Amino acid sequence: MQDKLKDILSHLSTEIDQETLLLYLQDKLSDEKKHEVEALLADNDFASDALDGLQEFGDKKQIAYMVEMLNRDLKKKVEKKRVRREKMKLPDQTWLYISILIFLLLVVLCFMVIRRMKN
Amino acid sequence: MNADKYNHITDQELLAQFYRDRDNELLGVLLQRYTLLLLGVCMKYLKNEEEAKDCVQQVFLKVIQELQKYKVEYFKSWLYMVAKNHCLMKLRDRQGKIPTEINEKLIAAPQEETDTQALVQNDHTLELMENSIRELNREQQQCVILFYLQKKSYQEIADETGYTMMQVKSHIQNGKRNLRNLIEKKLKEESKNT
Repeated sequence: MQDKLKDILSHLSTEIDQETLLLYLQDKLSDEKKHEVEALLADNDFASDALDGLQEFGDKKQIAYMVEMLNRDLKKKVEKKRVRREKMKLPDQTWLYISILIFLLLVVLCFMVIRRMKN
Repeated sequence: MNADKYNHITDQELLAQFYRDRDNELLGVLLQRYTLLLLGVCMKYLKNEEEAKDCVQQVFLKVIQELQKYKVEYFKSWLYMVAKNHCLMKLRDRQGKIPTEINEKLIAAPQEETDTQALVQNDHTLELMENSIRELNREQQQCVILFYLQKKSYQEIADETGYTMMQVKSHIQNGKRNLRNLIEKKLKEESKNT
């Protein structure tokens, strides 16, 4: 009895995964599991508001599809930005720098050799 | 964007990694965790499936832009506020009214739990709670007992009492809040008397 009373005021883990929430919406959970989800929702304003809204969807089976589409769109958005950023990056020019350095060293070396030969 | 490989990483860690690497892919992973909740919140306010979907996409964009500008400590509560404010703005545009913007908890920490945890650890508080349940109105008392003490689901409670699911939910939420207030009041009175 005392343990159950504690549940009324305590905030235990308030995280709820999307799959469980979807199963709850589609009425595919046992009564015991439903109670667990509802107890988590009681301490989680975000998920509780979300559930109110999700219950207003006409076809609950469509929700998972909508989420998938939204995630796909999100993926495109963040990838586009990454590709653009990568395009803006200068290409790796290490070999160019090394070649210039070798060329300069050769020029200096040649200069020194010619000068010594003249002397 | 393989979200699975980030499953073991918390929101806080992902956000920290984003601020370090500035990789939007990480924001994608983070936002994906909340797509369903965002869709629900948008639907609750806008009451229209298409508008709710558009709204989620706009929230995604807003979040991606805002997080480049400043640091957010508590991502989940911040995201919830961003979504609610965005919906309220859309409602204002739709109705020509100016709904109150929610600012108070914009950068708020998650609900403080330490006080409540201390409360529930105390046997005397539990005794007070047992008495206080009897002081709730009949509907709240009935729903709180069935939900918390008998571990029944909303549906089972609705079937047993004849209330709608929404009524059950509301009686439980209000009952819980009233119970907390009653206990705090009693504890204050006790400390005054001693």
